[in-house]
Amino acid sequence: MISRVAESCFWLTRYLERVDCWSRLLDVNSSFSLDIPLATPERWRPLVIVVGQEQDFLDRYGEDVIEDAEVVQRYLVWDPENPSSLLSSARAVRENARTTREVISVEMWELINEFWLWLNGRSAKRLYDRDRDAFYARLNSQCLMFHGTCYSTMLHDTPYTFITLGRAVERAGQTARVLDVHHHALNELDGRSPADAAQWIAILRSCSAYEPFFKLSSSVLGGASVAEFLLFDRTFPRSVMHNLDRAAVLLNQLLKERPEALPSASRRALDRLSGSLLQMDLDDVMQVGLHETVTMIVEGTAELCSAIQSDFFPAVDAVSPIGRRVEASPEPTAPAVSSQG
Amino acid sequence: MSSSERSNIKATGRVLFDGYTPLEATWDELFAGEGLEAIRPAARPVADHLNALTRADFRRLKRLADDTFLRSGITFTLYDKRGSTERIFPFDLIPRVIDAKEWEHVERGIVQRIRALNLFLADVYGDQRILEEGVIPRFLVEGSKAFRPQLMGVRPPKDVWVHIAGVDLIRDGEGRFVVLEDNLRVPSGVSYVLENRETMKKTYPALFRDSRVAAVESYPHKLREAMNAVAPGEGGRKRMVVLTPGPYNSAYFEHSYLARRIGCSLVQGSDLFVDNDRVYARTINGPTPVDAIYRRVDDEFLDPKVFRADSLMGVEGLIGAWAAGNVAIVNAVGNGVADDKGIYPFVPDMIRFYLDEEILLPQVETYVCAREKDCRYVLDHLDELVVKSVNEAGGYGMLMGPSASKREIKEFRKKIEEDPRNFIAQPRIELSTCPTWTSKGVEPRRVDLRPFAITGDDTWVLPGGLTRVALRKGSYVVNSSQGGGSKDTWVVETGR
Repeated sequence: MISRVAESCFWLTRYLERVDCWSRLLDVNSSFSLDIPLATPERWRPLVIVVGQEQDFLDRYGEDVIEDAEVVQRYLVWDPENPSSLLSSARAVRENARTTREVISVEMWELINEFWLWLNGRSAKRLYDRDRDAFYARLNSQCLMFHGTCYSTMLHDTPYTFITLGRAVERAGQTARVLDVHHHALNELDGRSPADAAQWIAILRSCSAYEPFFKLSSSVLGGASVAEFLLFDRTFPRSVMHNLDRAAVLLNQLLKERPEALPSASRRALDRLSGSLLQMDLDDVMQVGLHETVTMIVEGTAELCSAIQSDFFPAVDAVSPIGRRVEASPEPTAPAVSSQG
Repeated sequence: MSSSERSNIKATGRVLFDGYTPLEATWDELFAGEGLEAIRPAARPVADHLNALTRADFRRLKRLADDTFLRSGITFTLYDKRGSTERIFPFDLIPRVIDAKEWEHVERGIVQRIRALNLFLADVYGDQRILEEGVIPRFLVEGSKAFRPQLMGVRPPKDVWVHIAGVDLIRDGEGRFVVLEDNLRVPSGVSYVLENRETMKKTYPALFRDSRVAAVESYPHKLREAMNAVAPGEGGRKRMVVLTPGPYNSAYFEHSYLARRIGCSLVQGSDLFVDNDRVYARTINGPTPVDAIYRRVDDEFLDPKVFRADSLMGVEGLIGAWAAGNVAIVNAVGNGVADDKGIYPFVPDMIRFYLDEEILLPQVETYVCAREKDCRYVLDHLDELVVKSVNEAGGYGMLMGPSASKREIKEFRKKIEEDPRNFIAQPRIELSTCPTWTSKGVEPRRVDLRPFAITGDDTWVLPGGLTRVALRKGSYVVNSSQGGGSKDTWVVETGR
């Protein structure tokens, strides 16, 4: 498989996962912030920080509106100059799909193309104005549909492995980011007030984990049990651990067919991250601090990604004029919400 | 007819071909005169079928077809201040129909032409017999911008230069097919032939069931066969790639489409490299050798070591690997000298010289300004002629004498006098028309035809080809860059 194409496959799902995760996060955050008066006045700023765009937002819109639900949502959904906006991510999904059409299925391409035409057209904006929930729900279901279509129509060979690997790696990182958005609430482990319960439910909803949590968790709803579930539960498909497990299986498949002389830094990077997480239990997490743990995960996935990059798609001396991959945003750096707590 | 194709014709709804009148002194592809009884025999089933549609029906089908193109991404992107919009290439839902018996003749003519052009290329980069014997003036060949002296002595695998040819045909006022020009470098448009056909099948399923339309779907297999035939190496699975300039190229859709249909990787220059005269692809498991490259990158950008040093789309050392016989490049490099507009007038001589045959498909009478006598005639008749710069394509650098302003003619006169070798001239041909859907119903619009021929061990011609149509009223220019659209082309069996 051509390295550049493998790289685009990997990025295709990474961007898609961003659309998936952030549409849910925005949806929950907008309905949640309507309902419950929070102890902390900060509802929107953490999102801007975690997406890695606080400075850009402040430069262009200013401090005054960083808690303005409409301004922040417009920025995070539509702003073409915000490389992390949903529109930018969706564009990157489509461009990566366009450059991998020889390996993805016709059904996947048409789904992505139609999705992009819709989002870039008028009817998406109308829906956004008229029914915000329905708008986010549509984004979300498009992403889920993609995974189903991918599973059912594409050859399960090497390109598929890269597509699912991108998804696993990005998901681990995004779940960590959701925890970070809310880590100040989660650190108050004993909270029993209705506002706290709403907060934890919001976190679970942001990861579509509400019902799975109650199906599985024996513990009562609380910050600790929610964090434990999202970090360590191996059966929940958005937990960090589940996705690191997936990534290990996928990497093994790729490395199995690989001449031994070639580097395998990705395997080591993954082992390092999984290893340090496996050694921890919830008490350790709380002792180290949730934010610090989550930062460790986000940094670990970033290292894993650059190791995958150097193993499978090393930079070429002569870069083509259009650049090697279609990328909308730089690798998001580790969030630093703690300063806002 | 299925219900999806047709709703009830209201008593007042006008049917499609009502009032259609072909132009004077111009061949019409479907109608020999006015009225439905004047329909040409091969087009009869199509016309009957379409004429059962009201204009409203047709408008609805047109919308469906446009949606299909948009959804499947057969589009190009327009960028403006507010972002980007996806546009489709205009497609007309009324097919152009050619009688299979007539097509046989066209096919033979194309095969003959490709054989001669292939021999010409081998000769020009080899012994140059045709120049030695003075059949074609040496200065025309060696002065051509597309002649690549670096390639003298190179012999591509199996001596095939023109693997894929697009030979542009038009019909004159009497309906004879005439060759307008050859495209032997990287002819484009075949994906539209295949996609247009798909769309037509979805739009008129019943009509397709009832008609005997020659299939076009085998094109990718034929291309694959041809690449396989010329790829060096014995047996086994040959490794083939399609080389594209990248996703921002306007024909990217076609590159990706062909790679998918041939079943090979689509690569960019940076995905390949040459080591010790062998071409390799950069894969996730290290370098993998490549045996054949269908390149959609122009000669000049192919290899910065041999041609333009600033090219970022090429592969350093590719020409060396090709000359060493280690890789097939499809089409061969240097073909431009054979489809040069200045060489075109000599193709009948070529056919006589190499094949000892007379040309089967006539060409347009052409004045070569490099010849003094011709040049004088051209300068005296600028208002009657179509003048073309030999080094431009896509409908640019042209003078349409009969419709040009005095100022345009004056400007061209100056250009020709300054550099006569750069120009040829032809009488304006009344290109044939085909009924075409417009905002005012169905009207005659001018068309040309680009059939595609593939050559590996032998030459195969795709039945039909890309019909391009000048959508603007009165226009003779069919290029997509100049307001052209396309139609499906049907080669239809009749009365057997």
